[in-house]
Amino acid sequence: MRHGPLVRSLVRIGAMASKETIHIRRDPRTLALALAMPLVMLFLFGYGISTDLDHLPIAFADQDQSEASRALARAFDGSGEFRVVTRRAPGEVEPLFRDGSVVAALVVPRGYQDDLVGGRRTPVQLMVDGADAVVANQVLTKADAVLRAESRRLAGAAFARLEPPLSAALWTRYNPAARSALFMVPGISAFLLAITAVMLTALAIAGEWERGSMEQLFASPVGRLEIVLGKLLPYLVLGLLELQLVLAFGAMAFDLPVLGPGWLILLLGLVFLVGMLGQGLLISVVTKNQMVATQAAALSAMLPSIILSGMIFPIENMPLPLQLLSRLIPARYLVHGLRGVLLKGNGFDVLWPDVLAMALFAVAIVALATRRFQRRLA
Amino acid sequence: MSLATARRELAAVFRKEVRQTLRDRRIMFLLIVAPLVQTVIFGSAVDFDVDKVPTVVVDVDRSDVSRLHARRLLADGTLRRVGERASVAEAEGDLDAGRAAAVVVLPRGLAGDLSAGRPAQVQVLVDGTDPNRAGVAGGAASRYLGEEGERLMRERLEAAGRGAPAQAVLTPRVAYNPRLKTAPYLVPGIAAMLLVIVTTLVTAMGLSREREMGTMEQLLVTPIKPIWLLVGKLLPFLVIGFFDVLLLVTVGTWVFEVPLRGNLLVLAVGVLLYVFSTLGVGLFISTVSQNQQQAFLGGFLFMMPATLLSGVMTPIRAMPDWLQLVTYLNPVRHFAEVMRGVLLRGAGVGDLWFQLAALAVLGLGILGLAASRFRTQLG
Repeated sequence: MRHGPLVRSLVRIGAMASKETIHIRRDPRTLALALAMPLVMLFLFGYGISTDLDHLPIAFADQDQSEASRALARAFDGSGEFRVVTRRAPGEVEPLFRDGSVVAALVVPRGYQDDLVGGRRTPVQLMVDGADAVVANQVLTKADAVLRAESRRLAGAAFARLEPPLSAALWTRYNPAARSALFMVPGISAFLLAITAVMLTALAIAGEWERGSMEQLFASPVGRLEIVLGKLLPYLVLGLLELQLVLAFGAMAFDLPVLGPGWLILLLGLVFLVGMLGQGLLISVVTKNQMVATQAAALSAMLPSIILSGMIFPIENMPLPLQLLSRLIPARYLVHGLRGVLLKGNGFDVLWPDVLAMALFAVAIVALATRRFQRRLA
Repeated sequence: MSLATARRELAAVFRKEVRQTLRDRRIMFLLIVAPLVQTVIFGSAVDFDVDKVPTVVVDVDRSDVSRLHARRLLADGTLRRVGERASVAEAEGDLDAGRAAAVVVLPRGLAGDLSAGRPAQVQVLVDGTDPNRAGVAGGAASRYLGEEGERLMRERLEAAGRGAPAQAVLTPRVAYNPRLKTAPYLVPGIAAMLLVIVTTLVTAMGLSREREMGTMEQLLVTPIKPIWLLVGKLLPFLVIGFFDVLLLVTVGTWVFEVPLRGNLLVLAVGVLLYVFSTLGVGLFISTVSQNQQQAFLGGFLFMMPATLLSGVMTPIRAMPDWLQLVTYLNPVRHFAEVMRGVLLRGAGVGDLWFQLAALAVLGLGILGLAASRFRTQLG
């Protein structure tokens, strides 16, 4: 029975894919590591990574030694945000900053109580260790809130009973409990897919060059494009599996909602993965060396997908050149798309630009990679 | 074996390794240029101080008062106006599509309520997807409106002739990094992370590669003792580690205004002890991996938790207690503290003795364990 050229080509691609699958299965440790990684990461991000601080250690410098200043120390201590760990003179604070035992020092000036009794505006000084900008920012905001509350309390019952003439009514949509895990899971998925796809393909194909088995493949009747497709196919499946695993784990452990359609998640993942596999292929063709390929992949896929994707740091806070650069990073669109589907329940009508952007990237990079791949041999 | 032969053997291996590394331009590029590029991009991309939150204003009241409050609420730059909508429903569409992350609604009758002394509320709708950004946006809105509310209240009390009550205000003074910029704080931490990539991953993969290609066995049949072989192989990376730190500190001070307040000698001791542990981990991974792919994944499996739990990106104090204890076993944590301590706060050995001691224990421990595994494997 004779088959058309397309069918024969598909058979050859299938053969390549099953050869690569055997490679992967022969090396169960690699497979286990590739699948264990997402769980470790999710666990860390979900439980360990948080930026919200409380019980921050502060020093208390009381120059007033009055009832009012002691009440202020109690207010800071009782707020749950701070913990007065030591009492010092203001001049003795700096060594405590240097060895990191306190993050701030509260200095109550002489005459604090008299000012309060006299109804005057009285300053309280806060010395903050600014070396850690994240902590310092929170210290400032929280200390301000504690002092404001204390000030209101001191102003007396009449004042406290009054309803403020102007106030804010805050509504939070999509993630009202402000859980970082919900924010992180879509980002982590993008990051893990980028790593698995780019790194593993780059390493697998660079390995063939290193061992010289690539030339043997070329001597076979399998076409160049067929080799590429066959080699990438198993990693595509592996990547999609990983995506499902991460989302399933996220849904189980962190109650990650899936508000949008499931097929859209698969579509986003698929388009993204094709682009990443193409990038891995390009790297391996250019480097032909596993160690160099790793570093190149780390530089071109791993870091951008952490830093420039908006996974952790908002893109609109970056300088303009990097904002523009982030438009070339497919992870940016995947993170945005996944958050939209999972947390906001967006459909294709809202997210089509993300799919389109990733598809453009995928087509461009796969075309570039196969062209270089073919030229190498001529 | 005499000391002289040992030195000769070591020098020979060292020369061979240096030559091999230098010959491959691409590896040199990756060991030196890549960390530089990463530092510059990282340092300029990451800004923990969230601002410019895209905000849509829905001014239903359309009065002078509502316009004034909208303008002043957005004045400090935390919220950035990206558009105006006639109705809340339209603005919600912007939130859905991600065009805006906050919506400020000035309700009908705001001006009237305020002048009549009735309590008025400004509604602020935030996209909670990113809890950090949502917190900042919500915080900025409630701070402004809270201050404004309090000011109005005091005015009214005074107008009623009851006298303004006392008020305590906070005057902050920020040491070391007065403008609270992220880069001076982050860049020393990044250096700690990049050293892991440059030393751990490269060692793990390099040694696995030798195993794959069988060149390690060839070296073993030479009269060189395994221990000198190992030291000679690791030494170039120690040099590269020092060079990279020097490079990153230079770039940090030039580009990102990282101060140089402390004694660089303390830093050098820190680098030495730190690279012991990162090389040790790399060596250990190579002894348990069969090929480069596994070595990479193993290195990665160490690198991710080690960097995430180092306090470089998120404060260690914000982690659960049991996890904070685990971070004491993390060399990246101690080294990041040494870097920041020395560079930003001018800390000396007296302040950092604990971190240095921890690095020494971890470094020698890990390296010793890995070296003994390496020897038994070859022996």
